[in-house]
Amino acid sequence: MLKTEELQINIGPQHPSTHGVFRLMATVDGETVVHLEPVFGYLHRNHEQLGEIWTYLQTITITDRLDYFNSMINEHGYCMTVEKLASIEVPERAEYIRVIMSELSRILNHAAAIGFWLQDMGSWGTTLMFGFRQREMIMDIFESVGGSRMMCNYMRFGGVARDLTPNLVEQINLFLEGFPQFIDDFERLMMENEILLARSRNVGVLPKELAAAYSVTGPVIRGSGIPYDIRRAEPYSIYDRFAFDIPVGSVGDVYDRFLVRMEEMRQSHRILRQAMEQLPQASGSYINQAYKAASKQQGLRLPAGEAYCRVESPKGELGYYIVSNGGNSAYRYGIRAPSLINLTALNDMCRGYTVADIVVILGSIDIVMGEVDR
Amino acid sequence: MTATPEQTTATQTALQPVGGGGVVVVERKQPGQSYGQGIAKGMAVVIRHFAKSFTSRIDDKSDQAGMFTVEYPEERMELPEAYRNMPVLLYDDKTGQELCTSCFQCERICPPKVIHITQAKDPNTGKAVPAAEEFIIEYDSCMSCGLCHEICPFDAIKMDHFYELSTHDHLAMDQNKAALDRPISYYQAIAPNLWAAVEANAMKKLQNNVKRRPGNIGVAPHMIGKTQKALPTAAAAGAGAAAAARPKTPVAAIGKNMSPEKVARLEAIRAAKRGGATMPGESEIVAPSPVASGESGLHVAESQAGLAPSPATTPAPATGPVAAVGQSMSDEKKARLEAIRAAKRAQGGGQ
Repeated sequence: MLKTEELQINIGPQHPSTHGVFRLMATVDGETVVHLEPVFGYLHRNHEQLGEIWTYLQTITITDRLDYFNSMINEHGYCMTVEKLASIEVPERAEYIRVIMSELSRILNHAAAIGFWLQDMGSWGTTLMFGFRQREMIMDIFESVGGSRMMCNYMRFGGVARDLTPNLVEQINLFLEGFPQFIDDFERLMMENEILLARSRNVGVLPKELAAAYSVTGPVIRGSGIPYDIRRAEPYSIYDRFAFDIPVGSVGDVYDRFLVRMEEMRQSHRILRQAMEQLPQASGSYINQAYKAASKQQGLRLPAGEAYCRVESPKGELGYYIVSNGGNSAYRYGIRAPSLINLTALNDMCRGYTVADIVVILGSIDIVMGEVDR
Repeated sequence: MTATPEQTTATQTALQPVGGGGVVVVERKQPGQSYGQGIAKGMAVVIRHFAKSFTSRIDDKSDQAGMFTVEYPEERMELPEAYRNMPVLLYDDKTGQELCTSCFQCERICPPKVIHITQAKDPNTGKAVPAAEEFIIEYDSCMSCGLCHEICPFDAIKMDHFYELSTHDHLAMDQNKAALDRPISYYQAIAPNLWAAVEANAMKKLQNNVKRRPGNIGVAPHMIGKTQKALPTAAAAGAGAAAAARPKTPVAAIGKNMSPEKVARLEAIRAAKRGGATMPGESEIVAPSPVASGESGLHVAESQAGLAPSPATTPAPATGPVAAVGQSMSDEKKARLEAIRAAKRAQGGGQ
């Protein structure tokens, strides 16, 4: 075979399919990728340092800006960590509201993520808009409870900021009613599409062992066939009360990740159905009454110590680590961002495939640069 | 690329049944021999949705097909009460007394630190008065987190629903007290339930604070000299001003199951109500607020937010204890106000 000279090309940081300001240094041999180096840090915003300056309550507002597609789950994880360290009780009803919001976020995220992934593949607009319509409906719900579509700032220590009104419960139920129709349409739209199958089957294969070695999480590791889900592995909040399945793939390619996300949306719908059924019986208020006043939250001082809590974000394991020295802001505040860790496996996923596949593989990891760079 | 062994049939095997539920292996579709059928299936879905978008609207969240977009400048989404955009300050409709007591709670909690308050002082004694001399919010750096309105013990700072804030004048985004002041009826119109929940408490606290405010301290700048000297009471301006203050929405309620003629009918009723209810309000009080004086709420908000290129938006140089003349006033009114102020100043000097 003829030996050709290797060429290094840059994709990004200003490139529409890199999902933000993200640069890929690809070494290609002809059309084949031989090495790929992700370069990030363009969106660094000093998040962790800010968390060490601002009070615990103020920091909730910037956890929204980590992974801006699922601000509710970001807040959930952060509040859980502070509650763990301060031993704050969360009433049952608040837990239910949190789970409802978290699962809505998961649907929102996956609907958008699949839409963007299909857009990367060349299915311009149409499929993305199908996902976006559903996302828009969920964001309407978020707007009603939190006040903002994306930067919800809804969760508080010991509960949530506002109770679900009967009207809102009705809205969520209406949404759940129409959801199966959406997912069926969405599936019929793309699932058997020959172009999608040709471009995604056996592309970007991440073997089981390698996935575990890279400690990737979320749909990426489940697509590789490992049924690892924090909601099951270490049930937090009230996830042990719900029946749901964990979808796993069998090959570990891009197609499997797509299928896993589709199935996860169905499972989220299942959880939501159960949660909405059980919500009226849940005891307690929407927030721990001792921490209801915003001034209580603002003046919160955590006892010296450290805590780590993790939640299953749509991207994977989202962990918060807080070290307190007794003050009203964290001494050290760290985040395990799933997007960042999943991105480290990109080189191994892309090697041997063509340049055109890079975009598809990157889209299948579903990264958000706000979380990667923090 | 060599083919990898795959499941060809739907395998619903529970691998690790933990808790409630198991593990499902997702079913992989094989590329069939009938090329193009999968694409045709997808196209059928698209065409069905496309056709429906001409005949129906997505009315509620269970609807899946139909027109979903809102044609923005003509139509507007109905905003939920809890919607938050930029913080504004409230004042009592009748007396013009601001609810803010400059307790500095919002300044302290504000994460990006964009709130700057100066406490008012009694000109005679030099003692602090529970009112704000100046209140500046840098709208350009505000992150709309809503913590200020959550912590405010006097319910003086609230989140506005006005979102058309784009401007070429970056510096004009620094809002002073005159630009931030909104009547309570305005907030009542945009968030009736939220205000109803806090009204009694807020008005009670305001009544107590007003007793400790000498002269015009704590009165919204453009309300000075136009108010009745009375203690503020709950629901001051009533429904008339509230209806007038409601931001104009061309279409009644988007997303509700309504036919166009019904929307038109409702719009007509609303317009009639708005027109009818403003009149008594105006005769009763001498222009209780710029909102009630015939302008639509949206325009007032616009000019108050300093977006309309008016010279009055820049904070006037402090000539006396009283603040700048309100920008949405007629020349005649301004002259009258100036006369009153001059008289007051003379009085103060004589003492």
